Amino acid sequence: MKIKIDGIEIEVTSGETILEAAKKSGINIPTLCYSPAFGGKGHCRMCMVEVKNGNATRLVASCTYPISSEIEVKTSTPAIEKIRRNIVMLIAKRAEGSELMQEMAKEYGCTDNALQGDPNERCILCRLCCYACEEMGTSAISAIMRGIEKRIATPYDEPSAACIGCGACAEICPTGAIEMLEEGGKRTIWNKTFELVTCEKCGKPFATREQLNYVKQKSGIEMTGRLCESCRKREVAGKMSQSIVELN
Amino acid sequence: MSPLTNFDGKMILVCCGTGCQANGSMDIYHAFQEQLADNKAVEVKTYTKSTGCNGWCEKGPLVKIMPDDITYIQVSTKDVPEIIEKTIINHKLVERLLYRDPVTKKRYKSHHDIDFYKKQHKVALRNIGEIDPASIDDYIAVGGYANLDKLLNQMTPDQVVEEVLASGLRGRGGGGFPTGMKWKACAAVDRYPKYVICNGDEGDPGAFMDRSIMEGDPHSVIEGMITCAYAIGASAGYIYVRDEYGLAIKNLTKAINDARARGYLGKNILGSNLSFDIEIVRGGGAFVCGEETALIASIEGNIGEPRDKYVFPTEKGLWGQPTVINNVETWANIPVIIAEGAEKFAYLGTEGSKGTKVFSLVGKVVNTGLVEVPMGTTLREIIYGIGGGIQGGRKFKAVQTGGPSGGCIPESLLDLQVDFDTLTKAGSMMGSGGLIVMDDRTCMVEVARYYLNFLAGESCGKCYPCREGIKRLLEITTRICEGKGQVEDLDLLKDISETLVSASLCALGKTAANPVMSTLKYFRNEYLAHIVDHKCPAGVCQNLTEFYIDAELCKGCTLCAKNCPVDAIKGEKKKAHAIEQEKCIKCGQCIDNCKFQAVKVR
Repeated sequence: MKIKIDGIEIEVTSGETILEAAKKSGINIPTLCYSPAFGGKGHCRMCMVEVKNGNATRLVASCTYPISSEIEVKTSTPAIEKIRRNIVMLIAKRAEGSELMQEMAKEYGCTDNALQGDPNERCILCRLCCYACEEMGTSAISAIMRGIEKRIATPYDEPSAACIGCGACAEICPTGAIEMLEEGGKRTIWNKTFELVTCEKCGKPFATREQLNYVKQKSGIEMTGRLCESCRKREVAGKMSQSIVELN
Repeated sequence: MSPLTNFDGKMILVCCGTGCQANGSMDIYHAFQEQLADNKAVEVKTYTKSTGCNGWCEKGPLVKIMPDDITYIQVSTKDVPEIIEKTIINHKLVERLLYRDPVTKKRYKSHHDIDFYKKQHKVALRNIGEIDPASIDDYIAVGGYANLDKLLNQMTPDQVVEEVLASGLRGRGGGGFPTGMKWKACAAVDRYPKYVICNGDEGDPGAFMDRSIMEGDPHSVIEGMITCAYAIGASAGYIYVRDEYGLAIKNLTKAINDARARGYLGKNILGSNLSFDIEIVRGGGAFVCGEETALIASIEGNIGEPRDKYVFPTEKGLWGQPTVINNVETWANIPVIIAEGAEKFAYLGTEGSKGTKVFSLVGKVVNTGLVEVPMGTTLREIIYGIGGGIQGGRKFKAVQTGGPSGGCIPESLLDLQVDFDTLTKAGSMMGSGGLIVMDDRTCMVEVARYYLNFLAGESCGKCYPCREGIKRLLEITTRICEGKGQVEDLDLLKDISETLVSASLCALGKTAANPVMSTLKYFRNEYLAHIVDHKCPAGVCQNLTEFYIDAELCKGCTLCAKNCPVDAIKGEKKKAHAIEQEKCIKCGQCIDNCKFQAVKVR
C-alpha cells in the first residue's frame, strides 16, 4: 500500500504507524515520549499530524495511528505547529529544571507568560523509564496517582524489592530527572542503596550484585569472571584475534 | 393496563431509591409491612413493595397507593398509621400528605397530574417506581423478557441490528454515537469470543440517572445486553459499576442470579443457540473509567487509562476482542425498541436524536430530581415547566449541561431544543445528562475553576495536553478568582483550551476546556469584572466582594442579622440594617436569606 507524507510517496504495510513509516523514509516528526524500543504510546502528542482519508481531514497522533488505507499526511501545518508550541511551553513550565525543555522552548518560539514554573523539576512524564523497567522484567517503578498529581515512583515511594538497581531508567531518561548516586562502591537509586561489584580486571565498580544475579537467573548462564563492559569487550576481542592467529 | 394495577386489594409502593432511603424510606416500608400484617381492621388484601427511584427526590420519601393512584409526599414513619387508617381501611385521602401547588395552593391526589410528571415522557425510566426491582416476576408482569423468545427464535441477528439502527438510538453516555452502527461494526468482525459491556461508571457530580436505572430496573439493562449478545454473537457480558453504588450492585446481582435461574442467562438461553452470561465488575471510582477504553483497561486489571481510538473497541476491545460497550440508559432503551419497533421509538425526538433522554435536574431549581423528556424539549420547558423555576424566586443565570466537561448555557439560549447536536453547537454537550441550574448568586469564573479543579484530580494524567493544560487553566482561573488576574490571561486561557481540544488523547481531555471556553464565550464580562474592576458581580469570590444593604429596600426584618455568623450586621427592628465591613467575612448568608433582595454586591 502507498501513502503520501508531505507529498512524498511511501510504500507501507498495513498496520504500520505513520510515525514508523515516516522515520524509515527519513521524514522527521518530533516526539518526546517515543522510543523505537517500546513503540508508540500516545502520551506527549508532539507527533500530531494531519491525516486526509478520502474527504475527511483530522489530526491524529502519528505514533499510535495504524495505517489501514491510502492516506495523505501532512506533518506540519499552522494548527500542528501551534499544538507543538503549546505542548513544549506547558512541559517547559512543568520541568523548568530540564535544559532540554528550555532549549526546546526557545527553538519552538514559546513566549514567556505568568504561569508558575518549577525550577527543581526535570521529569516530563514521558514514562520511558517505566517502559524500560517493564522491559527488563522488573517493573519496579510506574506512573502513580491521577491527573495533575501523576508522577513516577516505586510503590508507596518505598525502596522496591523488585528494583535491581540496573539504572536502565536513569539511562533512558531524556532529561536527567532520575538521580543515580554512585559513591564509595555503592549506588543509590529510588531510595534503595546497592553494593557495587568491582571488575576483576580493572577494579572499577560496574554493576550491582542484584543486577548480576537477575541476569544469571533470567539467562541461566553462570558468568565466569566478573568483568565490566569495557574489559569484557577487550577480552572477547583478544580471544577472537587469538583464534584468528591460530586458524592462520 | 399493567398487571401490577390489575389486582384485588391495595398496593403500597414505597420509593426506596437512594434519595428516599436516605430519608428513611426503608423504615416506612417495614412499618407498612408490620402494621398491615397485624391489622384486623384491614379487610382488603394488601401488598407492600419497595420500588426504585421515582425521580422526584425533592419531595421524598414518596408513597403511592394503587389502584387508587394516590401519591403521598415527604412521608415519615409517623404517618404510616394514619395512611393505613384513612386510606387503606376507610378509602379516604390524607390531605396534608398530598402535593400542594405553591402558586394555586391546589392539592393533587395523583402525581400523574402534577407538572413535574405530566410533562415527562418515560421510556428508559418506564418501570422505575412502578415495580419492585428485586422481583423478576414484577419485571415479567410489566412485559419484561416477553420478546426474548421472539428475538431468539424468529429474528436473525442482522434483523436485530437493523432494528436498532432504524430506531436512530444514539449512545446515552455522552458520545452520542449511533448504537446500531456500533453493533453493526462489531457484528461484521469475524473473530470470537466477543464481549458486551454495560458502562455504569457514572461519575458526573450531581448525576444519578444510571444509578437510578440500575437500582430501580436492573432487568431492563440485562435484557438489553442479551439482545446485543444475540445480535453480535457475544458470549460474555460485564456490567461495570462504581463500588459506591451499593444498592445498584445489590439489585443487579440479584437480577443476574434470578435471570440465570429462569434461563434468560446461561447456556442455550430459552432453548436457542445463544449462550451468554453476565458478570459484575466493581469500579474503584475513577471518573476517567467512564471513558470506554479506560473502562476496558480497568476490567482487564490495568490502570484505568484511555488509549487512542483509531481502532474502535468494536474491533479491538476487551482483551483485544470485538466488544460492544454501551451506557446503562442506552441498554434500558433496547427492550422497548424490540418490543414496540424502531418506528415507534423514533417517533419521539428530533431529526438527529431520537427517543427520550433522562436528565438529572439539580442545582438552584425548585424540583430537583430525575426527569425524562423527548429529545428536542427546550431547556426552558425542563427548567421552568418541569423543574418549577428557580429556588427562592431568584434570577436564572446559566445551566451547566453534560457534567464537569460540559459547558454553561446562558439565559439567551433557554429556548434551545436539547439534543446531541444543538448542545454541542452551543459549546456544551449532552454528556450523560446532567443539568445543573445556576442562579444570579453563581460566579461563572468560579464555576469554571470548580470544574477544572474536579478534572485536575480526575484526568488520568496520561497525555500532556490534558494533564498540563488542565493544571494551567486551573492556575489561571484560581488567580482570577483571587483578584490577581491579568487581561492577557484571557488569551492564554483560550490558547491552552484550543490545544486541549485538538490534541488530547481521549474525550475527557478534548472536552475538559468546555467550562472555560463556554463561560469565556457567554460571560466574558464577568471575567473582565474580576480582572479589570476587581469585582465579583455574583458576590462569590471573597477577595473581590463587598456586601451592603440597600436602605430603601430593607424592611428591618432582622433575618440577615440573625443569620450572620460573625455579628457584622447591625440595625433595629423594622429599620434599615447595615453591614460593618471590617467584620464581614463575605460568606453570603445575608444575601442568600434576604427576602426583599435588599442585600447587594459591590
